[in-house]
Amino acid sequence: MNYTITLKVNGRTVQRDVPAHLTLLEFIRSGLQLTGTKHGCGNGECGACTVIMDGKAVRACLILAVEANGCAVETIEGLVESPLAPFAGELPGAVTGTGHSHPEINGASPVGEGVGAGLHPIQRAFLAKGAVQCGFCTPGMIMAAKALYDRNPNPDRAAVVEALGGHLCRCTGYQPIIDAVLAVQTE
Amino acid sequence: MTYQTVGQSVARLDGIEKVTGEAVFVDDISLPGMLHARVLRSQRAHALITGLDVSEAMAQPGVVAVVTGRGLPRRIGACIQDMYPMAVDRVRYVGEPVAVVVAENPHQAHHALASIKVSYQDLAVVTDPWEASRPGAPQIHPDQAVYHRLPGIHPLPGSNIFHRLQVCRGNTADAFREAFLVVENRYWHPSIYHVQLEPHGAIATYHQKGGLTMYASSQAPYVVRHVICELLGLPPGRVRVIVPYVGGGFGGKSDHTIEPLLAWVARHVPGRPVKLVLTREEMACGTVIGRGALVHYRSAVSQDGMLLGVEAEVFLNGGGYGDFAVNIVTAAGISATGPYQVPNIKITAHGVYTNTPPTGACRGYGHPEVHWACERQMDIIAARLGMSPVEIRLKNALGPGKVNAIGQQMESHNGRVDLCIQQVVDALGGPECFLPRTNPCVGSIALEPGGIEADPLPHPTGANASPKAEPSGACAKPAAMPGKVRGKGIAALMKCPIMPTNAQSGAIIKLEEDGGVMVSVGAIEMGQGCHTVLAQIAAEALSLPLERVQVAPQVDTFHSPYEWQTVASHTTWAVGNAIRLAAAQLCDKITRAAAVILQVPAERLEVVGGRVQDRERPERYLTLQQLARGYTDARGTALSAPLIGEGNFVPQGLSHLDPETGQGNIAADWTFACQGAEVEVDTRTGEVTVLRLVSAMDVGKVINPVLAEGQIYGAAVQAMGAAICEGIVFDREGRIRNPSLTDYKVPGVEDMPELQALFVETPEESGPYGARGLGEHGAVCVPPAIANAIQQATGLEFFDLPVTAEKIIRAQQKRGVPA
Repeated sequence: MNYTITLKVNGRTVQRDVPAHLTLLEFIRSGLQLTGTKHGCGNGECGACTVIMDGKAVRACLILAVEANGCAVETIEGLVESPLAPFAGELPGAVTGTGHSHPEINGASPVGEGVGAGLHPIQRAFLAKGAVQCGFCTPGMIMAAKALYDRNPNPDRAAVVEALGGHLCRCTGYQPIIDAVLAVQTE
Repeated sequence: MTYQTVGQSVARLDGIEKVTGEAVFVDDISLPGMLHARVLRSQRAHALITGLDVSEAMAQPGVVAVVTGRGLPRRIGACIQDMYPMAVDRVRYVGEPVAVVVAENPHQAHHALASIKVSYQDLAVVTDPWEASRPGAPQIHPDQAVYHRLPGIHPLPGSNIFHRLQVCRGNTADAFREAFLVVENRYWHPSIYHVQLEPHGAIATYHQKGGLTMYASSQAPYVVRHVICELLGLPPGRVRVIVPYVGGGFGGKSDHTIEPLLAWVARHVPGRPVKLVLTREEMACGTVIGRGALVHYRSAVSQDGMLLGVEAEVFLNGGGYGDFAVNIVTAAGISATGPYQVPNIKITAHGVYTNTPPTGACRGYGHPEVHWACERQMDIIAARLGMSPVEIRLKNALGPGKVNAIGQQMESHNGRVDLCIQQVVDALGGPECFLPRTNPCVGSIALEPGGIEADPLPHPTGANASPKAEPSGACAKPAAMPGKVRGKGIAALMKCPIMPTNAQSGAIIKLEEDGGVMVSVGAIEMGQGCHTVLAQIAAEALSLPLERVQVAPQVDTFHSPYEWQTVASHTTWAVGNAIRLAAAQLCDKITRAAAVILQVPAERLEVVGGRVQDRERPERYLTLQQLARGYTDARGTALSAPLIGEGNFVPQGLSHLDPETGQGNIAADWTFACQGAEVEVDTRTGEVTVLRLVSAMDVGKVINPVLAEGQIYGAAVQAMGAAICEGIVFDREGRIRNPSLTDYKVPGVEDMPELQALFVETPEESGPYGARGLGEHGAVCVPPAIANAIQQATGLEFFDLPVTAEKIIRAQQKRGVPA
């Protein structure tokens, strides 16, 4: 059985016919070809598929596409603020710290000066704090952080830990991710 | 030595792609006409297949093919050819592929699985490696004697032991007879999952002209290619393996896993790509698992705390197939004495077939299993002698002039475990935090020389109680809450890469038309940041700014130079060396070309800052840009050709181990480290909170501090999971009881201790700019460090992992402390 759904994805209205069993994650990845949202477990256990739906961070694998009818969905692809101006402005490593003792990313940018200046501050903070390794949990982590900042511009460490709770990362030991999310507010 | 780029925490090359979602992983790839595969897996751990009917499944909507093991031409394997990519007539673990449905979409493939009819004749099941090694155990590979295997693998035909390594030095009988103290215990490290966030996946197309192209989430494209060539009878030039970004490996994507299976499946639908991505539940049984080892450990010690002898027997769970576990057995055997000099050694490491999923490489493989035993043992010995756990380690530590278990003499450039120990001790509050246990000799300690103090050998689910330490001095910090106690522990380690004696690493550096370079390597970027580090090494070697250096992100066996595989913490060291060789060749070609153009002897020219210039008259120079595509003079005549440098590296002077004594030159370099933990234990609930994890590692020159720290943090937290919460549970029928991430708890953000990484930088002579490996080492010693801290906090000795709240409560009850 197919249903017609209409929703906003990253600010653009899309209308599609979808089968009832299709998850929002399958819809985003296969239907819309937005593959930045990752499928890590399909059971809501890992957080890699987190998107923002009507302001709330949700696991796209636990929501049916038909449930998103009429909603506004933000994915990692919608986060870059000024994608048309990638060659101007500061280095991706320019976010300042919050008094943590860990070294900052410094020195040259291997991708060239100014590239990535259109990134969202959370994305820049992830780069500056070494919060990215394999990158598979990263989009979900960033979307969870975005949802946190959208409702609380000054989160403390406890709020960050709560917002990232249930998001698994097997590479970083989480500390650089917590540091990154906390560093955003100093921008 | 000052460097321009080496030693800088530059931003990752792949960072922007990964924070924007642009980075492409296997499951993000769709190819025209692509089909989808789903696997029917055995629900029996050990059985003969007596019937397999796929006709009904073939008739289901969307189904294009149903593939079975019928007709498989040969067994495969890199070390022992003991497996088929899917079951032929027998299954050896729950999860072994029995049939694969290929359909137009994944849902159709999934639904058709239910229509396949399989009948089995059950055989006796064994999942414990020690039990499986006993005479009379169910024989899992009755015909293992005929399997083809590499030299240096020693099976015991007629048993489940597929490889046995002995390491012998000196005379342990004398050492144990003359010892002041003998301590004997049995340690258990359960099987664990890697839990890469990206599930295993691959897309394969069997070409109608013959040959195969595969995208794979793999650490080892050249191993995958080799095995597929063997399986399908194809030459290497017809099999192309491409690896996009890999979402975490940790050893679980090394060697070969799902790739030969998918190649066999694709062979049945020529011309159409087939995608297979495992579900999270399949990740528990459809690829390799890690660890799973029983270690029986005896130490002979002198009165002043010198290790006189070690006898150890290791029983490593190989699972249903042993091909991936051979090198784990070797690693466990040669490193069972840890970072210490022991004059008399008798170690036997067995790899044992069981009815679990196959065991494969897992961050640090072989080393965490035996360090769990060795480093718990050191604390127990120290307590028996009334010594500090710091002092006993420093007394016995390997260092320049000392000899390791396989007879290799340590040189000064090999690193300093003593400094690592001191740094961790200082970071945790100083030596006064690690005083000798106040009442060490309660119980039946044998004080006369020759006496043997055998600890009651606990079954691998028990804990022995011993007197609780009384923290004193500056470290007697009150616990945060009543009912909670705190303790600190340390553990030291030595780890070398275990690799073929000719493990190859290549690099190609192409001078681009803007004077920058493109570096191609066979090393896989799976999160560890190797492409960034390798770019830094190339930039340094070529005296170029980092932004002029690119590293090709995808590895492709059609274009990329050889790489054994991206494992064993050897990429920075081995591929870094290959890059330095390639850079040297490129610089040589540049100066020789410039010598002709500038009419200056080549030896007077140097490559610096994007130019080649005359050392004596630096105003005479050419830019690399001018040389990239061939320099032309005013008449348009080409005076030089395009320039490419290549470098190829194999470790120098390695040899197989002696089959009788295990002595030999198999380790190319070592990394020494020490790890420490501070824990808080809630004595009412048994819950352990890890407050701090400190690692000090002699990694040689740190190429990129933030990336190096990231490796150590991640490894330490992974191993923290193994210490207190992770472990696969098999039932009597060999089924996994905790295949999901709900039932198999891994550390989450709320569990995080304060993490600290410290570096000792003794330059490694054989490494690029003095660097050596560090990727796995942070996972080696965290479990014993945490268990030693739990001991200090509670007085309870634990011998089997993980040390869960339940085990702590039970141990307290056994000791008579009310819970």
